[in-house]
Amino acid sequence: MSAQSGTHQQGGNEPLNDSVSSLVAAAHELKSPLALVRQLSLMLESADLSIDEQKRMLRQITLTSERALRLTSDLTRSARLQDAMFALEPINPQQLCEDIIHELTPLFNAHGREVRLVARKHPLLLVANRDLLRRIILNFSDNALHYAEADSSVEIWIKALNKGETIRLGVRDYGPALSSNVWKTLQSKLERAPQSVHARPQSSGLGLYIASQFAQAMNGAIGVTRHHDGATFYVDLHASRQLSLL
Amino acid sequence: MSTATVLIVEDDRWLAQQHARTLAGSGYTVATAPHAIAAMSAVDDVQPDVIILDVLLSGNTGFALLHELQSYGDTGAIPIILCTNLAADMSIKDLTPYGVRRILDKTTMLPDDLVTAVRSVLL
Repeated sequence: MSAQSGTHQQGGNEPLNDSVSSLVAAAHELKSPLALVRQLSLMLESADLSIDEQKRMLRQITLTSERALRLTSDLTRSARLQDAMFALEPINPQQLCEDIIHELTPLFNAHGREVRLVARKHPLLLVANRDLLRRIILNFSDNALHYAEADSSVEIWIKALNKGETIRLGVRDYGPALSSNVWKTLQSKLERAPQSVHARPQSSGLGLYIASQFAQAMNGAIGVTRHHDGATFYVDLHASRQLSLL
Repeated sequence: MSTATVLIVEDDRWLAQQHARTLAGSGYTVATAPHAIAAMSAVDDVQPDVIILDVLLSGNTGFALLHELQSYGDTGAIPIILCTNLAADMSIKDLTPYGVRRILDKTTMLPDDLVTAVRSVLL
């Protein structure tokens, strides 16, 4: 765990065993995209819109639906985590991140934002399950899209830590600084299962909790670093020794 | 047609655009802010007649903004319309002391409900 001030890492997790609070959290997380899709549909039904405006709204409906579907898909994956076997294999994180950026670019562009990879000169390999790692980075990126200021970039970067033993993938957003209260809440979100929205008004933290479960299934951990102008969410995973054996 | 100015504090950019379109279509001057910090700047800049406020914002919540607005005599008098997914859990009676005059439920409201609510608080 990093000793850096303003950094918090999630360690071991308890199983997602509070089904009622999880259900409430899932319902809460899905409310926003569904409410937006409904409002856009109502506008399409009732307003006198140009063809271009109609196309833009239909595109927004598609992209918003895809975000909501990613969450439902992650929930299903999370619920089956205990029962399934996940193959861990050497993965080139740079290639994976490039694929994710290709997938997310339409969504970010539609929001007037950019997502980009901070490229490395020397390739790294880590041990992970490709699907779970992809879901973690998508989750962090989705979070960054929400928090990033308009017209700002979200950066995905890859670093080697602990003399190359650990590989860290980070997603950096540039947005309003997190207040101390929000920071404390975020720390607790990284540690506990989602709770009722009454207890945690900003959000249920369900996405982060699922990401932490996925990381743990790959013998890794997630964490967050607070900056004066945003935050970095990261996942730490074991480096693959495959390159050093070559 | 009205010339009143409405400030929309909503962190979902696309939803804010829809609200702005609806209100502008009814003659209101509209400004938007994606979070509480930007909202306080916008309050100074545009001096809104009404604020439409989401609760679950990025960073500080809408409640933090309500407290801040109530800290000053002039901003404390601005009527607030909460527009939130959490409407079912809120009571107008509890929130009236914070300047909240109406609560709209994002999950059930119609676009024109926004115009009706703004008109009603400006009467």
